[in-house]
Amino acid sequence: MSSSVEIESLKDENGKNIYTVLCTFCSSKILNPGSSTYVNIEVAVKLHRMQRKDEEEVEEEEEISDYWMVDDMFTFENIGFSNTVENLKYLICADCEIGPVGWHNLTDQKSYIALSRVKHD
Amino acid sequence: MAKTYDYLFKLLLIGDSGVGKTCVLFRFSEDAFNTTFISTIGIDFKIRTIDLDNKKVKLQIWDTAGQERFRTITTAYYRGAMGIMLVYDVNNERSFENIKNWIRNIEENASADVEKMLLGNKCDLADRRQVSKQRGEQLAVEYGIKFMETSAKASINVEEAFYTLARDIKAKTEKKLKEASNPTKSGGHALRAPEISRKPPVWLARCSIL
Ligand SMILES: Nc1nc2c(ncn2[C@@H]2O[C@H](COP(=O)(O)OP(=O)(O)OP(=O)(O)O)[C@@H](O)[C@H]2O)c(=O)[nH]1
Ligand SMILES: [Mg+2]
Ligand SMILES: [Zn+2]
Repeated sequence: MSSSVEIESLKDENGKNIYTVLCTFCSSKILNPGSSTYVNIEVAVKLHRMQRKDEEEVEEEEEISDYWMVDDMFTFENIGFSNTVENLKYLICADCEIGPVGWHNLTDQKSYIALSRVKHD
Repeated sequence: MAKTYDYLFKLLLIGDSGVGKTCVLFRFSEDAFNTTFISTIGIDFKIRTIDLDNKKVKLQIWDTAGQERFRTITTAYYRGAMGIMLVYDVNNERSFENIKNWIRNIEENASADVEKMLLGNKCDLADRRQVSKQRGEQLAVEYGIKFMETSAKASINVEEAFYTLARDIKAKTEKKLKEASNPTKSGGHALRAPEISRKPPVWLARCSIL
């Protein structure tokens, strides 16, 4: 997913997502095609690894820099927002609640979905 | 970007502590994929998109805390709410009696035309029942609102309840729009697209309470 070749195939000439963005685990629809813009964020935000509850918790964070940026939270088809931590709200699947799949910045009100934590179909 | 939906409704869940509001909205169950990390922080709200009569409706659904000590924070949620689910526990008489207090609370703090619905939750526990379905129905009739018995645990009527509330808000909104577009006489004029504020709501910046 992190390879630039793969990313190229997911976005159109304006950087919009070509495919529907879905939850990796339950296929809940998160974003419609063309509703978000690809961004590469230099200062990568650390996201806790996603794992099932019954798995042993690993205190591990992953640096991810490839995101779909969403300007308006109501663009999402289905999404859950965590409570606020510092200036962020973490984003989770609205159906199976796996997450974080990204985060929401309360300062600029933009949301970011990690390409590597969703599937494209 | 062009607007991609027809309506946006903000919904709230209120009721006594322990009636199951959080379970109605969130899973947090054993089989949930939820990480410990997310469980610890807690979830604030969900955005869901549903289709009602070929209209795309966005629901932003908020949970609130029933405990008395959170009451003032809870009332802050009322601002801008278009629909409220009043939840009691069918196995807890007290939570049912308190519905009238919650109604009063809504009248004092929420918009006058907020759409309400009554939910008798935990209907899966038949042997411990303290409030009959009939009493729930009666109370709802008294207040002129809809009623359903639900079970968050057994997934009974939860989705149906949200659809019902959303459908009633939509009908009310469309009626208002119709009247506004034709003030002299309500008639069959074309509806204008509803003016829904798209600016990030200020209440998002408030502290979290879960
Ligand atoms: N049997 C059964 N138990 C339920 C159901 N819904 C919730 N519960 C249980 O009721 C308890 C309280 O549920 P919560 O969702 O935390 O209650 P709440 O209304 O959010 O309470 P506050 O956050 O304190 O206001 C939990 O132990 C749930 O497992 C249901 O439909 N059936
Ligand atoms: Mg709760
Ligand atoms: Zn999911």
